[in-house]
Amino acid sequence: MPGVLLKALTKRYGEDVAAVQHLTLEVKPRELVALLGPSGCGKTTTLRLVAGFLKPDAGEIWVGDHCLSSPTTVVPPERRRMAMIFQSYALWPHMTVAQNVAYGLRFKSALSREDRERRVREMLGVVQLGGFESRYPGELSGGQQQRVAVARALVVEPEILLLDEPLSNLDANLREEMRFEIRRLHERFGITTLYVTHDQAEAMVISDRIAVLERGRVVQVGTAQELFEQPRTRFVAAFIGRTNLVHATAAGPDTIAQGDVRLRVAASNLKPGAAVAVSIRPHAIRLRDVARPAGESGANLVRGRIERAAYLGDAVDYEVGVTGSDVRLRVSALPGLSFRPGDVVGLEIPVAACVPLADSPD
Amino acid sequence: MERAVPVWVLAAVTLLVLMALPLGWLGWVSVSSEQGATLAHYAAVFQDPHLQKALWNTVVMAFWVGLASLAVGAPMAWLTARTDLPGKAVIRGLIMASFVTPPFLGAFAWVMLAGPNAGLLNKLYRGLTGSPEPLVNIFSMPGLIFVVAIYTFPYVYIMMVNTLALIASDLEEAASILGAGRLRVAVTVTLPLVAPAILSGFILAVLQALALFGSPAILALPAGFHTITTQIWAFFHYPPKVEMAAAFSIPLLLATALLLQLQKRLLGRRGYASIGGKGGQRRNIPLGRGRYLALAGCLAVLACAIFLPYSMLAKAALARSWAQPLTWDNLTASNITFTFFEYSATKAAILNTLELGVLTATVGAGLAALLAYVANRRLILGHQVLAFLALAPVVIPGVVLAVGLFIAYTRPPFLLYGTLWILFLAYVTKEMPVGYSQADATFKGVHAELEDAGRILGAGRLRVLGEITAPLARSGIIATWCFIFIGVIRELSASIILFTPDTKVMSVVIFDLKEEGQFGAIAVLGLFMLVMTFATVILMQRVLGRDFMGVRE
Repeated sequence: MPGVLLKALTKRYGEDVAAVQHLTLEVKPRELVALLGPSGCGKTTTLRLVAGFLKPDAGEIWVGDHCLSSPTTVVPPERRRMAMIFQSYALWPHMTVAQNVAYGLRFKSALSREDRERRVREMLGVVQLGGFESRYPGELSGGQQQRVAVARALVVEPEILLLDEPLSNLDANLREEMRFEIRRLHERFGITTLYVTHDQAEAMVISDRIAVLERGRVVQVGTAQELFEQPRTRFVAAFIGRTNLVHATAAGPDTIAQGDVRLRVAASNLKPGAAVAVSIRPHAIRLRDVARPAGESGANLVRGRIERAAYLGDAVDYEVGVTGSDVRLRVSALPGLSFRPGDVVGLEIPVAACVPLADSPD
Repeated sequence: MERAVPVWVLAAVTLLVLMALPLGWLGWVSVSSEQGATLAHYAAVFQDPHLQKALWNTVVMAFWVGLASLAVGAPMAWLTARTDLPGKAVIRGLIMASFVTPPFLGAFAWVMLAGPNAGLLNKLYRGLTGSPEPLVNIFSMPGLIFVVAIYTFPYVYIMMVNTLALIASDLEEAASILGAGRLRVAVTVTLPLVAPAILSGFILAVLQALALFGSPAILALPAGFHTITTQIWAFFHYPPKVEMAAAFSIPLLLATALLLQLQKRLLGRRGYASIGGKGGQRRNIPLGRGRYLALAGCLAVLACAIFLPYSMLAKAALARSWAQPLTWDNLTASNITFTFFEYSATKAAILNTLELGVLTATVGAGLAALLAYVANRRLILGHQVLAFLALAPVVIPGVVLAVGLFIAYTRPPFLLYGTLWILFLAYVTKEMPVGYSQADATFKGVHAELEDAGRILGAGRLRVLGEITAPLARSGIIATWCFIFIGVIRELSASIILFTPDTKVMSVVIFDLKEEGQFGAIAVLGLFMLVMTFATVILMQRVLGRDFMGVRE
């Protein structure tokens, strides 16, 4: 089972619109990597480059030790031993479920007819569609069509599997169910997979690692936890989960200042005087009654005033104005403690939760 | 590069030659003389008071046809799309029948109905009132406008009905809930939404009228006046003045191009008519007792376009003398035997028409499908130009195209004049816009991902085209074939200039029979043409699973 290596890929549409710029990414054998980003970030273009539908303007695509795409030669899609699941499912309406699934097996001449039929049957069993062989796609529900598309891609035992927002046409419940289903199938077959999505929760559930794309570039690659806890840029911090962005000035190698407020942050190499943006997740901040003394947690301690409170059932969402600065923080607290707008509270912000971001604020 | 590329390129080049040759020659001949480049032909054309009159007549006719089509087509569209009018399906079907009726057949029928002396309606009127004067004279400008308009209003109707079908009632109800009364809703919401469709329907109707040859030739010439198209045709009478015809064609070409450009801008800027088209419900407005009045109005229009002329043709086909009542004595099959067995030109013309129809439809649909596929899947450099080229003949009236083809193919290297091939080229060129739009819509309906899915699983480009694209596009392409076939068998305005005694087609023979006063034979041949047309229409609707005038919720 080979991996995929994208080396400095660039694809332009027209003269100056670069959909993908100098994109480098490695997908290890048997790994599932999600390409995550907002629409227009170049993730689908990247996938279509890997599939061979597009020719790169620069850079190369390697699978194992074969170079499949370069600006001079592109191995056509039909000779790449890949499979792809499309956003629209792309099931052929004039073929039955069995014919759809069997299509790719036609090009494997080593297989006998019986073998083909058996494999189609088995695969339909795996996606829980046994008995649907002679139906037409138009007679299936959205979820069932999705499963046919999955079966059609997996039955050919591809070296690489590509998925282009495969769940975006399903309703919310089914989508969550299918996330786990796709993860289960990945664990069962272990095919090297590239998965395009704009849904961060989907990417977090399904993938081994996530590559966040912004304007045609990979801005950060890592596990869901790494991206959430140590976002490198404001874009990543804001795209993966909710966050507070605090714009401040470095006051020391590990301290930032905004108004009268000083916060120690998870860094030791800040240049005093430089502008810094810091990400603080709402759930990492703890609210305390000001009357009660602070514990010896080593966390940053500041005061603030509750400006808004919203009860959400499993949490209470506060907006807190930090005293002595114009910083406003959103805080997600357990519903046990309840404060009202106007209350003065203490905020406990662990140093590790204050993550300075690489790109300087505007 | 891929193996299939030469196929794409060849299709594109064919299209280019098809368009460039006749138009290039047309432009060149209009400005050249034996001494070199000259504007003398234009000067001659535009200073001649007779020709100025013909220009003016055309403008008057086209303008009033546009207005009349609007006055009839727009209300009928609203009635059938948005109200509880009874018998909507029948009315829609009859409007479609009017749409496919060759206008020159209608004109012939109306000569028999409303000719000043023998016309049946006039005889009836004189019999009833004792007046010596006829009620109406179809050989007049108003008569011409009337006959052209009853076969042109479907263009307005189709534009309107498809737009109305896309406007969800919510848009109107949103205005009602904010306090607007019914009339106010109509004026402030519905009307602005359909305004682009109304205007472009008007322009389409005007364009149709401008390009028409048959009806003016039948009705205006006996009345003693010319339009541009009949005048261009007259330039080909002995001794032919081709350079004058070319010079006189250019203004018609420019006017058409200008109007189409205008229409495109209207539709392009106001594309919002389709907003909310998805899923929105459309509720019918109750007309109360007025619905029967509305129905009567619709039927009156359709009586003029269908019932009266069709019955007249049927009667003329079966009667010894079409002007006399249809009694047993007057009943005969001799028109039928004369037309099919005795009149020498008929059999050859029917064969020619069928041959050209099948050939043009097959080649045209094939070429259109290839071009649309290439353009939709962006297979070659410059694919954007293909759509423009394929749609370009829309601006070329049949007569003008014929002049261009005549010039281009009466000289080396392509000596085609006198053969069926020149007619074939004329038809392929003329029908290309219709064919291309049909094929384009077909391939737009076949999601590119369906092909990609085949590629990634191991099928090559041509294999995917054969196994996936072709089966999915099949019904659309058959419909394209039918569209072109219908267009070809009724074609008159280009044929009338390009035919020679050996290459007559049915429409030309019908036109010839007029000179001989053989109305019975005209009726028989005309009905035969209608039967062929309707058979094709029915085939097409079977294949498409809907009527061809457009979307229906």
